[in-house]
Amino acid sequence: NPIVLDIAFNFIDFPSLENRM
Amino acid sequence: PIEDQFISLNRHIQRSEFSQAVKVADQILSIAPGDDDALRCKIVALIKDDRIDNALSAIQSSQSADFSFFKAYCLYRQNKLDEALSSLRDQERNSMTMLLESQILYRLGKMDACVDTYQKLAKSKIDSLEINYVAALTAAGRASE
Ligand SMILES: [K+]
Repeated sequence: NPIVLDIAFNFIDFPSLENRM
Repeated sequence: PIEDQFISLNRHIQRSEFSQAVKVADQILSIAPGDDDALRCKIVALIKDDRIDNALSAIQSSQSADFSFFKAYCLYRQNKLDEALSSLRDQERNSMTMLLESQILYRLGKMDACVDTYQKLAKSKIDSLEINYVAALTAAGRASE
């Protein structure tokens, strides 16, 4: 089977907490 | 104060200490129930920590915020592919939703639709996209393209 990557995982990102600190 | 907890949360995130991040996010949520940033951090940390079931529970416990992409992604990870797809179809189409859709279509064996979606994404300059595109073309019996 060809390699398939879970690229969507890299789109799961933390929000910026800049203005909460 | 809550600012100190966000500093701590941020530090854990920077260090990829995801289970610690979840704990601090939970502390924030205990004093600020429904805080969107804390909840979002908790869900993402759970996903990054491969605790997909827990992430889905956190998503389902929230009433207000829109976590539908996270939900679709978790369903994909659980191989609930039809549910994942229908969750995605309620969302705005952008490169992120199309990318996940292409991965779901691949697992469903819908290779022509999968290839179509990758072709639409070609201009979006997503890292390593061509790896999955080639896999889909190969599985579709269209490797010569
Ligand atoms: K794929």
